[in-house]
Amino acid sequence: MRLWYNFLKDMRLSSKSLYFYMEIGFTLIIIAVLLFAVPENFESNMAIYVHSDIESSFYDQLVGNIDSQESESWRLLSSREEVIEAMEDNRNSVGLVLSMANNQVLFDFILQGYENDSLKNILQTTVETAFASQAPQFEDYTFITTLDPSAERLSDRLNLIPLVLTLNVSFMGLFVIAAYIFLDKEEGTIKALAVSPNRMWEYLLGKVGVIMVSGILSGFLLLFALVGPNAHYGHFFVLLVATNLFGSALGLFISSFFDTLVKAMGWLFMSVFILAFAGTSYFMPAFSPLPIRLLPSYPMLFAFREILLENPDLFFVYATSLGFLAIAVVVFLVANHRFERTLTV
Amino acid sequence: MIHVQNLFHSYSKNDQYAVKNVSFEIEKGEVFGFLGPSGAGKSTTQGVLTGLLQLQAGEVSVVGYDMKKPSRDLFNKIGVSFEQSNVYNKLSALENLVFYRKLFDVPTVEPLTLLKMVGLDHVADKKTGEFSKGMKHRLTFARSMLNQPELWFLDEPTTGLDPAIASQIKDIVKEKNNSGTTVFLTTHNMYVADELCHRVAFIIDGEIKLIDSPRNLKLQYGEKLVEVEYREDNTLKKSTFSLLKEPDRMALNDIIHSGKVEVMHTKEATLEEIFIKVTGRGLK
Repeated sequence: MRLWYNFLKDMRLSSKSLYFYMEIGFTLIIIAVLLFAVPENFESNMAIYVHSDIESSFYDQLVGNIDSQESESWRLLSSREEVIEAMEDNRNSVGLVLSMANNQVLFDFILQGYENDSLKNILQTTVETAFASQAPQFEDYTFITTLDPSAERLSDRLNLIPLVLTLNVSFMGLFVIAAYIFLDKEEGTIKALAVSPNRMWEYLLGKVGVIMVSGILSGFLLLFALVGPNAHYGHFFVLLVATNLFGSALGLFISSFFDTLVKAMGWLFMSVFILAFAGTSYFMPAFSPLPIRLLPSYPMLFAFREILLENPDLFFVYATSLGFLAIAVVVFLVANHRFERTLTV
Repeated sequence: MIHVQNLFHSYSKNDQYAVKNVSFEIEKGEVFGFLGPSGAGKSTTQGVLTGLLQLQAGEVSVVGYDMKKPSRDLFNKIGVSFEQSNVYNKLSALENLVFYRKLFDVPTVEPLTLLKMVGLDHVADKKTGEFSKGMKHRLTFARSMLNQPELWFLDEPTTGLDPAIASQIKDIVKEKNNSGTTVFLTTHNMYVADELCHRVAFIIDGEIKLIDSPRNLKLQYGEKLVEVEYREDNTLKKSTFSLLKEPDRMALNDIIHSGKVEVMHTKEATLEEIFIKVTGRGLK
């Protein structure tokens, strides 16, 4: 019962403090950004300004086709100078001047200067293929086979949600719980609790409960706003509770080494910074070295991603949840042991 | 009620002791004063006795519980009033007491009764963040009585209070003691100690220099003089007489028999004077 009273008291106190609303406020801002500023899918709208000096019926027809498409990305201009002028007006563009020399077609690309080698290669291949494919004898012999034909792909917008859930919902508690603990220490109320029959774990779990409530509120708010009513809320709840507990336990563990929030803040920031590294491998799966795969945030991101799929891998989701729950319990017990010795000193 | 034997405590866990070789016993029903200037080791000793500081060296038992690994049940039997008020500023006075009350496994006192006792019943629903320092101090004091403690730790219970409120607090301490509560009083206020304590310990630089009752100390360290103001030939006269010298005793007797005494004081020493005499240091 004391745990319940601690939780109720902490809920009452936190509902009157900034920290509780900080996480929910961030979530609302992120929802607004994702809904109104981030497109469903990121598409390159790079314009290609083309000028052709070739006098041949085939190229006249080809260039005529481009002109008649009134495409946003392709525009036919009448001179190289016009191409350059257009490029200066639109920095998200490249230029292409076609000419003939010794019976060979020359593709002269004009770039802005910020393009990297990969983009240059892609442009070159794309444009050359585009022209080549218009030739009468052209036949496409390219075939694509996928190992998992049923693999689902998230939209670019939904693909951002796991990162937001990991950082704002699971790891935000790391800071907030530290702030709650140090506030109690600063006000001395921790001493008053220490001379009551209240146990340390009851005190700490009361705080964890508050972080859990704000985490669940933020997580469900985010998912409902961006995914709608058809998300896998049951599985999401289990994963959210486990990862949120892990974040809080980690926050308690780090805080147990310090006596003020200011001293702890550097380590808390560094922890979240390191954990956020997993995001690079999440967005660029080709880059996933072992140190990143060992970060707890790595499986967390992919487990949240599974929740968003139509047919999630539930074994992975529940194994990840169980893993985080187990680690959270161990880290919490260590933090509890440390706080019993240090919190009132 | 409290047994302390060869207590040592170092914050830096080396030979820089905040408390060294402290030993004393407190009987049930006693009001024991721990007297010393700031930094003398009073709060450290109380910290160990209340479990806020870990027992490093020595033997300490409180209400029969070994403080090496005190049971949480101990805290059903003790009450602690801190010098620095430590209440939840965002809760009202009543909410503060209601929350703490639920933490105990023993019968507790009605929070409103306690608020009334310390004169805070009229602001029971006010946020304590809006309280004055003195009001917060009274609330901290009231909270320490919630579980009707057998042993009551009071750290500077009257500091920062106006004389009327301080007197009220002292009356409550006396009343609780009369009903059997043992009191461990930490203070640098000699008047409070003199008024409330059955015995006092002088602590300085982490060491206890002396333990005795205020009366015995005054008898031992005070001068046996009587100061008298009396009328003689319509003139107010003032004289000091030694009770150890026969001529002085006779002269004092004559003045008393004449019936013209207006004011008469025994020149006993104050606790502060005795403290300075014993330790060579003041209490501030």
